[in-house]
This record gives sequence, C-alpha cells and structure tokens, in this order.
Amino acid sequence: MTAQDMKQLKISVAGVRGIVGRGLDAETAVSFAQAFATYLEGGTIAICHDTRPSANMLRASVLAGLLSSGTRVVDLGIVPSPTLRLALPNLHANGGIIIAAGHNPTDWNALKFLRGDGMYLSARQGQELLEIFSHGEFRKAQWDEIHPLEYSDRAIEEHLNRILQLFPAEPIRKRRFKVAVDCCNGPCSLLTPRLLEALDCEVVALNNNPARPFPRLPNPTPDNMSQLEALVRASGADVGFAHDAEGERLGIVTNEGIALHQEMTLAIAVYIALETGWCTQPIVINISTSRMIESLAAKHGVRVIRTPTGQAHVSEQALLRKADIAGEGSGQVILPRLHPGPDGIAAIAFFLHYLAGSQETISNIVEQIPVFYMRKENIPLASNRAYRTLQRLRELAQMQKGDFAVDLTDGVKLESPDGWVHVRASMTESMLRIIVESPDPGRAKELQRWIRDQVLE
Amino acid sequence: MKPIRTLKVGVSGIRGVVGDSLKPLLLCRFARAFATYSGGSTILIGRDTRTSGEMVKNAVLAGLLSSGCRVIDVDICPVPTIQNAVRHTHCKGGIAITASHNPVQWNALKFIKSDGSFLNPHEAEELLNLYHQQDFRTAVSSELQPPETYSGAIDDHLRKILERMQPAREPQLRVAIDCCNGAGSLMTARLLELLGCETLPLYCVPDGRFPRPPEPVPANLSKLCQMVEESGADVGFAQDADADRLAVVSEKGQAIGEEYTLALCARAVLSREKGPVVVNLSTSRMIDDIAAAYGCPVYRTRIGEVNVTETMCELGAILGGEGNGGVIYPKVNLARDSFVAITLLVELLRSSEKTLSQLVEEIPSYVMIKRSYEIHPHLIPALIAHLSDQYKEEDLDLRDGIKIIRPRSWVHVRGSNTEPIVRLVVEGPDSATVSMLRDEFEGLIRHFL
Repeated sequence: MTAQDMKQLKISVAGVRGIVGRGLDAETAVSFAQAFATYLEGGTIAICHDTRPSANMLRASVLAGLLSSGTRVVDLGIVPSPTLRLALPNLHANGGIIIAAGHNPTDWNALKFLRGDGMYLSARQGQELLEIFSHGEFRKAQWDEIHPLEYSDRAIEEHLNRILQLFPAEPIRKRRFKVAVDCCNGPCSLLTPRLLEALDCEVVALNNNPARPFPRLPNPTPDNMSQLEALVRASGADVGFAHDAEGERLGIVTNEGIALHQEMTLAIAVYIALETGWCTQPIVINISTSRMIESLAAKHGVRVIRTPTGQAHVSEQALLRKADIAGEGSGQVILPRLHPGPDGIAAIAFFLHYLAGSQETISNIVEQIPVFYMRKENIPLASNRAYRTLQRLRELAQMQKGDFAVDLTDGVKLESPDGWVHVRASMTESMLRIIVESPDPGRAKELQRWIRDQVLE
Repeated sequence: MKPIRTLKVGVSGIRGVVGDSLKPLLLCRFARAFATYSGGSTILIGRDTRTSGEMVKNAVLAGLLSSGCRVIDVDICPVPTIQNAVRHTHCKGGIAITASHNPVQWNALKFIKSDGSFLNPHEAEELLNLYHQQDFRTAVSSELQPPETYSGAIDDHLRKILERMQPAREPQLRVAIDCCNGAGSLMTARLLELLGCETLPLYCVPDGRFPRPPEPVPANLSKLCQMVEESGADVGFAQDADADRLAVVSEKGQAIGEEYTLALCARAVLSREKGPVVVNLSTSRMIDDIAAAYGCPVYRTRIGEVNVTETMCELGAILGGEGNGGVIYPKVNLARDSFVAITLLVELLRSSEKTLSQLVEEIPSYVMIKRSYEIHPHLIPALIAHLSDQYKEEDLDLRDGIKIIRPRSWVHVRGSNTEPIVRLVVEGPDSATVSMLRDEFEGLIRHFL
C-alpha cells in the first residue's frame, strides 16, 4: 500500500482531521458533532468554517448532528477561527466547532472543538469526547426540542474592534505603512484588509477572494510565499504578511522582500514583547519551537515554559502562567490579553504597532535575533509503525543520557548545549516529524543525519 | 424483542420519529444511497415546515454533497411544488423531506425521479439494497460542489397552474383555508388571490407547530368548519402539512369528507375532457358513478401515489387520485397536488353556479368507514392469507392486501406502507351494512393483534 492509498483520517484529542473522501466523510462529521453536543449536554454551540471545497458538506454534517441533539446553533459562516474563539463568550456559547484545516492542503479538512471560553478542549476533555464518540450513544432531541438555526454576522466587526482596543490605531495611522498581505483566499480575506484600512495602511492585497480556490499551499512557509515576496518588492511595501487558510499561522516577508523562516514570526513577536515591556510573565512555547525564544528571553531575565506540541497545551499553560505572549514555531502567536488562541490577524496589528513606535524595519529586527539553524523532516509512516519506532527511540534515549538531556513529554527530545533533536508522531497526519536545531549549521546537519538513521533502522 | 414501531425503511422511502429512530446518520446514509443510485448528478431538495426539517435537510445535504451531487435547495415548499420543480429544473432526482399527514414528531424522505413521480417499488428496492450495502459513491475535494438555493419553485408552480388550466377570475368567491401551519402556508393564499378569490386564512404560519393533526379528515377540521360558518364563506379548503392532499368544507360549515375531493374534481375535469381515470383500491365508488355518467373508464391500482401515476402514464389517463384527498391532474403535475384540486373546485363552483352542498347532493352517496389497528408488520401476511381463505368464494382483488368486492359494498384490508398498522376500509350503501361489515372484519383482525 502506498501513501497515496492510505486512508487519511486522524482522530485525536485535538479533533478529527483528514482528507475528504479518503478518510474524512460526512458520517464521521455527523457523529463527532453528535458526540460534542452530547458532551456539552445541548446548550449553545457556535460554528464557523473556512473556504475549502468541502466546507459546505462538513457544515451540513455538523449542523445535522448538532441540531438533532437539541443544541442551539449559531452559525458565523466564513470567519477566521480566532474570530470564533473571541465570539464564544459574547454568544454565551458552551462550545464551538471550527471547520477548517489551517495549514493543510485544500483536500484536507478538520473539525476542531472549543470550550465556551475559546480554548481547545484539554487533553482530558478531548479524551472524554472521544469516549462518547466511540460509544456511539448520542443525545436525541424530540421534535419540539430542536432549535431553529441562528446566524450571526457581527463577529468580524467585534474581532476588529477588540484588536483596535488593544492596539490604538492613531500612532499606526500616522505612519501610513504600505502593507502587502496574502490571505490565501481564506477567511482572513474578510478581516485583514479591513483591519489594515482601519489603520490607514496602503493595502496591497493578494488572494483576498474567499470565493476562489487556494492559490498556493496554505502553510505560510517561505516556499509558499514567493508571490508575496515579488509583490513586496514590486510595491516597495514596508512588510508583507501571509496567512494560512484559517488565520492562525502567519508568515512574514521583510521590507527587503525576503520571506522569513516560519520560526521567525514568533521570535519577532517575542522580541517586540520583551523590548517594549509588553511581556514580564513567563513565555509559553511548545517543545519543538526554536531556541531563539530562550536566547531572547534570557537577556530580559524572563522564563520560558515549554509544553508538549498541540495548541491545547500551549493555551492552557499560557493561561495558567498568566503569560503575556505564547505561541508555536509554526508561525502561531498567542496574545492572551485578547484571547488564549493563536491569532494571525492580531499579530499583524502587534507588529505594526511596534514598527509605528520605533524607527526599526522588519529587517533591522531580524538582525537583532540570534541565529539558529533548524532542519525539519517528515517521514511518512502508518500510525502503528510510528509508535513502535518511538518506543525504540525512547530506549535509545536512555542510553544517550550521558550526552543529552532527555525530554519524553511528547515523543523523544534530546538536548545538549550545541543542539537538539525532537522526534514525534504527527497528531494530524500519518508521519513522524523530525526537528533538529543548532547554532552551528554543520552540527544541525550532523544531528539530522544521525536521528534519521536511528528512525529508519 | 420489542418491535421498532417508529421507523419504516421501505419502498416508500424512510420515515421515522425524530428524537427516536430518525437519526441524522441514517438520513445521511440514505441520501448517499440515493446519490449513488442517481450517479451523483443534480438533485433537488425541499422540505415541509416541521421543526425537524432543518436538521433532516442538513443530514441529506451532507450525504448528497459528499457523494458529489450538485444540489439545488428549494427549502420550504409544498411537495407537489418540489415534484414540479424537479421536472422544471431538469434535475436527475429529488428528495422531499416531509411526513405528509403523519403527526408532528414524524419526518420522512421521499425520493423523486426526473419526471416528478416517486420511485416505484422496484426502484425503491434497488435503492434499499444500495443503502444496506453501504458502498456509496464518494467524492474527493475537487469533485465537491457548493449547494445552490432556488427560490422560484412556488412561482414556477403557480405560473404553470395558470398557464395550463386558464382559470376564470369571476364571479367573486370567499374561501377559507386551513394550511395546518404547513408548507401550504407559503402558497395557498397566493393561488387564491390569482384566482380572484377573497381569502380567509386559518393556520397559515409556516412554523411547523401543527395546531391540529395534519391529516385533513373531518375530525381535525372543526376550527375551519366554524370559521366557514361564521364568516359565510363559500367554501373551506384544508391541506395536510405538505399540501399534497386536500379536504373540503361546505358553505354550511360541514367537513364533507376527503373522499369527495377527488369525486368533485372528477366532475370538474370529466365534464370538459374524456379519458381514463385511475384511482387506488381504497377509493370510494363515487368515482365509478361519476366516470360512468361521463362515459369514462376507471382503473384501480395498489395503494401508493407512484402506483397510480405509473398506471396513469401507461393508460394516458386524464385524471387520477386517491380517496384520501389526493388529486392528480397530469396536465399540470404528475403528483397529488392540492393546488390543482383547489383550482378545479373553484372552477366547478363558478361554472356550475351551484353551492358546494348542492354539488355534493348530486353525487350518489355511500357510507365509508376507515379504521387502523397497530400490528407487528410480520403478522400481516398471515392475516391476509387467513382472510383470503375465509372469503375465497367471493370476488377478490389480492394486489394489495385483500379487497372483497360485492355488488353494493366492498371491504379492503391491507398493511400500511408507512406505519406499523393494518388498515380496514369498508364502503356500502348505508350505515347498518357498513357497521355490520366493520364488526365482522374487526373481529377477524383482532385475532392477529
């Protein structure tokens, strides 16, 4: 069986994700929605979706499941997922379902389950949801307990206003920045250009039509930002931003027209947060985020807390530690003062707010950040083989204890002063992810070769 | 094992009680089976006003889309309007989400072919097989199509009625209507306005909270009768929840019984056109008397709208229907259509210059009793076998249960297609004969309950 034929469906505490028609189908979505409604015992659930071709099908599935369980459903339609998180408390919702697959290619989709406070279900809550799903006994509403579907179209406006409350527009307006933005024809098309206009920026928008298909792979990595690079160069923009397809991950193109490594998004945000005194509390990041964050934090005497990968862990710790900033190396910036989830749109305002108050450019900031070399590799592997391999690596780690500090909280991470390697099973796809980082490019390569050999043995 | 009394998966589609057996997964899978059966082409969907309609519609939509169908959604519409729309918009098929005359807690899927008629028993059997095999057509992302909405279905239907029937707009009539807060609420008053009638509306809020049981039998129409009497209306019309069936209240405020709807419509049609008439086995003999008066033959079929429409097509019938208030006039629609029936009856009142009571009096009258008894479906064949043995010397029709045909009366016993019940219909010249026959057969049936 080739990877092409392999059914792509991942059911985990983070929700359900897969390739539509090859693993993720209407029936799975109906049952998961029923399970979630059963878990929340009815109540109010708000939903939103991104602009993928499968959005309508999965929305209908989710509606069928939720309505049949007697849930009051508020449909926000196409909005970025942070917009839904922010709206949940206003709607007095008990939970939310995001129908979106962020950085995954267009043929993927996912259902992600939120609590009433906008946080992902915790690992334990996710486990409970999975138990209900597996059990297959769901809440059923009688004919007079079924609520009519409700709609809300104010969420984008509210999100915009909350961002502007946090980052006053006036100083940014004075600078009349020229900002290029690539929304991947996703839901951010409906918000980011509006935000930039409210900030009196000259907006050079690319791919901001939600009715059109994705023009590129949604993950905002340098490979997928060449169009934006060209646009920044041609227009002489002060900065370029690339969204994923739901408004969580953000990629940056410098004023020189260079797309930055994904890890730089959070590093720049942390740099700004530390320089401006925005951040005094511990910074929360996941286990595979670059050591750039520790280097920056050390200068200001701020602690860094690492969590297992998965947004739920990062958000939960951020809240617990009263973090001022948190995030993941994949381009996710969390500003807990707004809400506890990654928000690519708010991050743009955060960056522009800093640029307005300083005389720095994005390139200047990048120069201030210590250089690390990170190498990532994905090894496609069926789940059963992936977990067997991890078992073996754990045994290996015990033997390497002399040379490395060992962290087994999420897969296997081996750390030493001159670099680290991290191997874990993807929560969302059938593969093992390898990440290696070192201040020395030669050492990074060496570590990558070594760990790949160990994995493939 | 306790029998499941609230779910009917059968040749007339799938029907069940919301909050009990009619689960979204089942609906989604049935829609996928139909999508697979239709080869993933364009399917039109619509629903009545039931509170579960939105849930059911989304389950169906999910199933159809996931199997790669192009879906046109007309949302709340009368069933005859949905059937007309399938043909009008050249769809490969349709799904009507309605439990018709069933109580408010029920809902159902009815499967429609490209000509607007329902799947026949053989086709429904194939669909069922597909459903049970669960090997459905599956579309990948690039094959998924966004659902479309179409809001012109009611306009199209009204326009077609006016074009094909050319009704007069005079003289003035006062008409009371009871739409049971069903799908007719969106259309019946509009039709009457186009027919130049003054409309007195009752229960025309399309919120699916039925103020009376949806079946338009006399026992459920007391409010309408009262309204007709107090307002001095010329006639009252009552629909079921999806407006395929029609019942009539006379100017005296009397519910004349749903059997008269087809009889009166037959008079309206056959006085102008000649041709075969097709009705089901349980329909009153009034139709035979009227057709005979106009020299037209009557053919009888098994119960079920599709059985009537298929025979109508074979024979080139000009009119068809059922005694339950279903009138099929193929010049407009190959479906039971209460709007066509209203138009015919308004025409009859105007052209005859008689009152409704007078028109009723001119039709030879019979006494009919309809009863139903809860029974486990698997006991029905034994019951029918027993009866056909008991009455083997008589003139029997065994196409659908058993019908015992006598010169001045008849008795029909059959299992329902839609509910776990056995139905008994008796018709005769007077109450004494009919009561006696009812007692005789009720006794026989009770042995099997």
